[in-house]
Amino acid sequence: MRVATDIGGTFTDLVYVDDGGKMGIAKSHTTPPNFERGVMNVLDESEINLDQLNTFIHGTTVIINALTERKGVKTGLITTKGFRDVLEIARGNRPDLFNVRYEKPTPFVPRHLRQEVEERLTYKGEVIEPLNKERVKEIVDYFKKENVQAVAVSFLHSYSNDTHEKETVELVKELWPEVAVTASHEVTKEWREYERTSTTVLNSYVKPIASSYVDRLENELKEAGTESNKYIMQSNGGTTTFDQSKQTPINMLESGPVAGIYGSAILGKMLGEDNIIAFDIGGTTAKCSLIDKGEVKVSTDYSIERTDRTAGYPVKVPVVDIVEIGNGGGSIAWIDDGGSLRVGPKSAGALPGPVAYGRGGEEPTTTDANLVVGRLSPANFDNDVDMEKVKQAITEKIAKPFSTTVEEAALGIIRIANSNMLNALKLISVRKGYDPREFTLVAFGGGGSMHAPALAKELGVNKVIVPVGASVFSAWGMLMTDLRHDYIQTYIRRVEGIDFSELNMQLEVQETQAVAQYKDEGVEEEDVILTRFADLRYLGQEHTVKVPVPAGEITEESMKQVIEKFHETHEQLYTFKLKGAPTEIVNLHLTAFGTVQKPELAKLPATEGTAEDALKEVRSVLYEEDGWVDTKVYDRTKLGAEVTIEGPAIVEEQSNSTVLYPGQQLTVDSYGNLIIEVGV
Amino acid sequence: MSNQIIAPKVDPFTLDIVKDSLVAIGEEMFYALARTSMSPIIYEVLDYASGLTDSKGQLLTQGNGVTGFIGMLSFMVKETVERYNKSGDLKPGDIILINDPYGGGGSHLCDVGLVMPIFYKGELVAFSANKAHWTEVGGKDAGSMSTNSTEIYQEGLQFPCVKLYDEGKLNQAVVDIIAANVRFPDLSLGDMWAQVAALKTGDRRFRELCDKYGKDIVKNSIDHLLDHGEQLSLKALKELPKGTFEAVDYIDDDGIEEGPFKVQLKLEIRDDAFICDFRGSHPQVTGSINSTLTGMISSVRTIFLAITNPSQDVNDGAFRPLKILTDEGSVFNAVRPAPVSMYWESMLFGCDLVWKALAPVIPDRLTAGHLLSVCVAIVGGKHQDTDEPFLIVEPSVGGWGAAVDRDGDPAQFCILDGETFNIPVEVCETRNGVLVDEYSLNTDGAGAGEFRGGQGVIRSYRAMTDNQFVTASFGRHKFNVWGAEGGKEGSNNKFEIVKSDGSVDGPFGKYNQYPLMKNEVVRLITATGGGYGNPLDRPVEKVVLDVKNEYITVEQAKADYGVVIDPVTLEVQGITAEREEKERV
Repeated sequence: MRVATDIGGTFTDLVYVDDGGKMGIAKSHTTPPNFERGVMNVLDESEINLDQLNTFIHGTTVIINALTERKGVKTGLITTKGFRDVLEIARGNRPDLFNVRYEKPTPFVPRHLRQEVEERLTYKGEVIEPLNKERVKEIVDYFKKENVQAVAVSFLHSYSNDTHEKETVELVKELWPEVAVTASHEVTKEWREYERTSTTVLNSYVKPIASSYVDRLENELKEAGTESNKYIMQSNGGTTTFDQSKQTPINMLESGPVAGIYGSAILGKMLGEDNIIAFDIGGTTAKCSLIDKGEVKVSTDYSIERTDRTAGYPVKVPVVDIVEIGNGGGSIAWIDDGGSLRVGPKSAGALPGPVAYGRGGEEPTTTDANLVVGRLSPANFDNDVDMEKVKQAITEKIAKPFSTTVEEAALGIIRIANSNMLNALKLISVRKGYDPREFTLVAFGGGGSMHAPALAKELGVNKVIVPVGASVFSAWGMLMTDLRHDYIQTYIRRVEGIDFSELNMQLEVQETQAVAQYKDEGVEEEDVILTRFADLRYLGQEHTVKVPVPAGEITEESMKQVIEKFHETHEQLYTFKLKGAPTEIVNLHLTAFGTVQKPELAKLPATEGTAEDALKEVRSVLYEEDGWVDTKVYDRTKLGAEVTIEGPAIVEEQSNSTVLYPGQQLTVDSYGNLIIEVGV
Repeated sequence: MSNQIIAPKVDPFTLDIVKDSLVAIGEEMFYALARTSMSPIIYEVLDYASGLTDSKGQLLTQGNGVTGFIGMLSFMVKETVERYNKSGDLKPGDIILINDPYGGGGSHLCDVGLVMPIFYKGELVAFSANKAHWTEVGGKDAGSMSTNSTEIYQEGLQFPCVKLYDEGKLNQAVVDIIAANVRFPDLSLGDMWAQVAALKTGDRRFRELCDKYGKDIVKNSIDHLLDHGEQLSLKALKELPKGTFEAVDYIDDDGIEEGPFKVQLKLEIRDDAFICDFRGSHPQVTGSINSTLTGMISSVRTIFLAITNPSQDVNDGAFRPLKILTDEGSVFNAVRPAPVSMYWESMLFGCDLVWKALAPVIPDRLTAGHLLSVCVAIVGGKHQDTDEPFLIVEPSVGGWGAAVDRDGDPAQFCILDGETFNIPVEVCETRNGVLVDEYSLNTDGAGAGEFRGGQGVIRSYRAMTDNQFVTASFGRHKFNVWGAEGGKEGSNNKFEIVKSDGSVDGPFGKYNQYPLMKNEVVRLITATGGGYGNPLDRPVEKVVLDVKNEYITVEQAKADYGVVIDPVTLEVQGITAEREEKERV
C-alpha cells in the first residue's frame, strides 16, 4: 500500500491506494507547530493498517512556513573577501517602479554575521589566491561567540571549482561538529553569486528545523510500527529520501502545489492525453502549469516572497514552473479609486472567509458571487448560509456603485475573476507559442471545476478533466511520483568548435554522480532513468532556452540536432530564430528519476443506472450569455461510469461543484473522472 | 467625478476586462524583448520600454524596465503620426525607426525606438512601440556616450523617423548603414530584431482583441482606460496639500565647463492641476548633460506618479493634470545640436526638485534624497583569454534616503532606473577582461539621522589586459545628497583610478576615456542617501547595532549620534552632553 500525506494551511490530506488499486482519502486538521501530530492523526483517521504500508510519501509546508515566518535559526555566512555585502546589495532592482518608498527585502543574515575569507578563483575555476584556513578558524570562533546555529559558505565561481568551499566546510565541521553547514555548490552549481548565496543562506537557515521535523516524523512513524520506505516531496515534482531532505531542505518549498501539477501529468498519461494544462483553484490563489508532451517543466527561476511589487529572495533550485495569481474562492471583490471592479489579490482566507461562511466576513468574494448566481448551493456548505446577507454584501459594495442588479454584479465578479485567471492561463500557453486547442485542462482544488469549463471555452481548450477527489488531488499526485534529482552545472562553452571529449566527460560526471546518489538511497541502477537537457542561447543573449540532449556520446551530428531543436524552440517561444548565429551552452541539466512501482487504479464497477438516478434538484442558474436557465444538479457520488450529461448542468460533490455550460457535454469515465467536451 | 462610476456605452465589466487585456499585452511585449535581447543593458538592466498607444499616440499601457522612459513612447508615436499619417502614407506592415532626441526620440541616441502602426480592417486603430538602449550606435566613442562631446553629431547615428519596414518589406539599406557605422553590429542588430519581434506580438494581440470584442468595444475601452487613469490622478491630487512650493539645486558641471549650473522649480498644486515651472533654470550647456523637453517630461512624470499613485498601471490619462513649463534653450529643454548623451545628469533634477520641494510636506510618500545619478560606467578593451573586444555599459546602484519611519535602502538604482538589475560578478568576469576586486557597501557613515540614509557601493574593476579605458559620468559629485527634517546630508558619487604602484588618481565625477593598463583598477563609488530626523533621536541600541555591523564607526557613533561605545567590547559607555541635552527636552 502507498500512502501520501500533504500538509496544507488548514487541513492535512491523506490519499492511499491499496495493492488492489482501491483508493481512499482522509482529512484531518493541521496541527502547528507540531505538524507531525496532524500526520499521525490523519493516518488514524484513514483506518489503514500500518503493517501493510510499504511506501509513505510526504508533502509539507513546514519549510516554507519557517522561511516566511522567519522561524529559522541564527545563520552566519562566509564569503570571498570583498563580497560579504553581495547578500545585501542583491540585484538593486525596484519592481515597484514608481514607489520611492520601496522597501528592499532585508537579508536573512545581518552584516556582522557575514564574514570574509581570503580566497579567489577565476571564472574558469583557476585559483588566484589560496584559501586562508586560519581566517576560517577565526570566523568559527566568532560565530560560536555569537551563538550562530547554522553556517552558509558561498565563494565566487564555486560552480566551476568547489574545492575551496569543500575545504571550508570540512574545517568548520571539524572545529564545530554540531553546527549545520551548507556550501553553495551543494544546493546549486549555477553561476550568479547573489542568487547562489541567497539559496545557500536560506538552506542553512532552515536546515536544523527540517532535521528536527523529519526526525520527529520518522520516530512517530517508527513507533506506530511502520517499516515502509519514506519519501518527501520536492519542488521539482519528484520525491527524495528523508535523509537527503534534511541536507537540502530548500528543495521542499513547493512540495504541495507541484504534486498536483505532476499528478495532472500522470492522470493525463493514464487517459492518453500528454498535452495538459494543470489548473488548481484554492481559497486564495489560482495556479497553473503547462505540460508539453508529458514533460512537466522545471526551472530554477524561483523566489520566495517575490511579487510584482517586491523583489523577494531567490532560491535557485529546480521548481516546477507554476504561474500563480491572487484569485481564489475567497478573493475579495472591490472597486478601485478609478471606479473599476477588481477581484483579489486580497483574500478573506479561511477566517473570516466569504460572507457565506457566516464567520464575520463582510467583503463579497468569488464564492459569494457563485452562490448568488446559483452555481453553488447553500445546501452544499457546512454552515447555514444566510443568503440575504450574501446578497446584501454584493449589493452594497458592488451593485449600487455600478447602478446594477445584485445578479449582474455577481456575474461581473465572476467575469473579472475569470478574466484574471484567463490571463494567467494565456501566459503559460498562447504567449509561449502553444496552441490551446492541442491541450486538455485538468481542473482541481476547491474551485477548479467551477470555473474551468468557462475558461476552457474562452481559451479554446476542447476538453476538461475533473479528477476523482479533485480537492485532495495534490496528495494523489504524490502517490504517483518517482524519486527525482536534478543536476544542473553551469558550463559555458560556444557550440562552434566545442571540445566533444570534454563535453562527454562532463556529462558522464553528472551521470555517475546521479547513479551513485541513487545507490546510496537504495535504488538500483536499472531503475534510474536519466534525461539530459542543455540550456542554450544565441551568443550574446543572456536568457536561455532548455532543449533535450540525446543519450549516449555526443557527436558533431547529434549536436547539430540539438541546435536545430534550439532554433525551433526559440522560434516557438519568441517568434523568431537566428539561423547561422553562433550559439552557446550555459548549463548542462541532468534529471534523474529513481522509478518505483506504482499502483494500478481500480475502475468503477459498471452500473445500469442513468444520470437521472443522481439528480438532486433543478435550480435556476445565471449564465453569461444565456441568462437564467433551469439547470439540473447531480450528485457526483451517485454517477456511474459511462454516464453522460448535457449542459447546462451542475455536478456537486463535497467541497466541489462542476459547472457545465449550455452546449457542453460531460461523461464519467471508467475511473470516475469527469470528462467535459467543451464545444469550442 | 471621483466617487461616481463612469457610464460607458457597453457594460462596465466588459470594458474592464478589455482594459486588463490591454495591460497584459503590454507585459507580454515587454518580456519578449528581455528574453531575446543581445545586450546586457537590455536583458539585465532592462533599459527599455514597450507598449501600446491609441491611434493619436496616447499611451495605453507600457511595460517598463526603467521609469525614465515613461511617456517617451507617446512622443515617438506622435512624431510618426505627424510625419507620415497626415499624408496617409502609413501602411500596414510599416515599422518606423526613430532615435532623434529632438524629433520624438527624447533621451539620447543610444535609445532606439521602433513604432508599428496597427490596422484593423483597414483602419488605423493603435500603435505598438518600443524603445531600447543599444550598446552601440556609433559616434566618436565606444558605447556612444561621451562626457566631452560638444555636438550631437559626435554621439552616433541619428534615425530621424525613417521606415525600417515598408509594408512589411525590410529596407535593407538602413540595415546596411547601421551595420557599417556601429562598433558591435551583431549586438545592435540583434537587439533590433528582438524589438521588431516584440512589436509584431503587440500588433497580433491587439488585433486578436478586436476580433474577439469588436473594434468599437476596444476603442470604447481605450477611452475608459484613459479616463480611469485621469480619475486616479485627480483623486490623489485632491488629497495633496495645496499651495506653492519651491526648490533650488545645482548641477555639478557638464564635463567641459566648470559649473555649477543653477536649476530651480516653482510648483503649484491645485485640486485639478499639478504645475511644475522650471523657467529660470540654467541655459543649455556645452557638454553632453543637456536634456530635451521629452526627457524632462518623462522625469517629472516619474515623481508625479510617485506622489499621486505609484501602484497604478500607467497610461497617458494619468498625466492630464500635469503641466510642465520650461524655457526653450535651457538645460531642461535643449535645442539642436546640443549634445545629450549624458542627459540624465540634468534630467534627474527635474524629478529631484519636485521631490525636494515636497519631501517636508508629504513625508508619507517621499523620503530624503538619494544618489541622483544613473552613475554610468563604460569600460572597454580586450578579453585576456579570447582576445575579443568587450564593452561594459552599466548603471550603478547607490544609497537611497531615509524616510519618516525607516532607514534608507542601500544599493538601489536611481529613480530613473527601476526593474534594473546589476550584472553579477561571475557573469561580468566571464564576459569581460576584468577582475572585480570588490563589490561592497560604501560604509562612509554619511546620512546620519534618526533614520539613516542607505549606503552606496564600491565596485572595483581590475584591468586584465593593457589598453583598456573607462568612461564614467557620476553626477551628484560636487554636492552631497540632501537630508530631510534634521537628518544629515548623504555623501557624493565618485570614481578613482588605482595605479599599479598603489597611487590614486582622482576622485572624478566625469571622465572621458581614461586609459587603463593591466592591473590598474578603477574604483566606482556611489553616494550614501540622506538621513531623516535628528541623529540624536536614534535609539542607542540601533546605534550600537550599526557599529557592530560596521555601517558606522565608534567615532561616528559619538560625533553624530552622541553615543559613546567601547571599540573593543562594543558596550555603551555613556552618551554625550549634547545627546543628554536633547533627551532632556
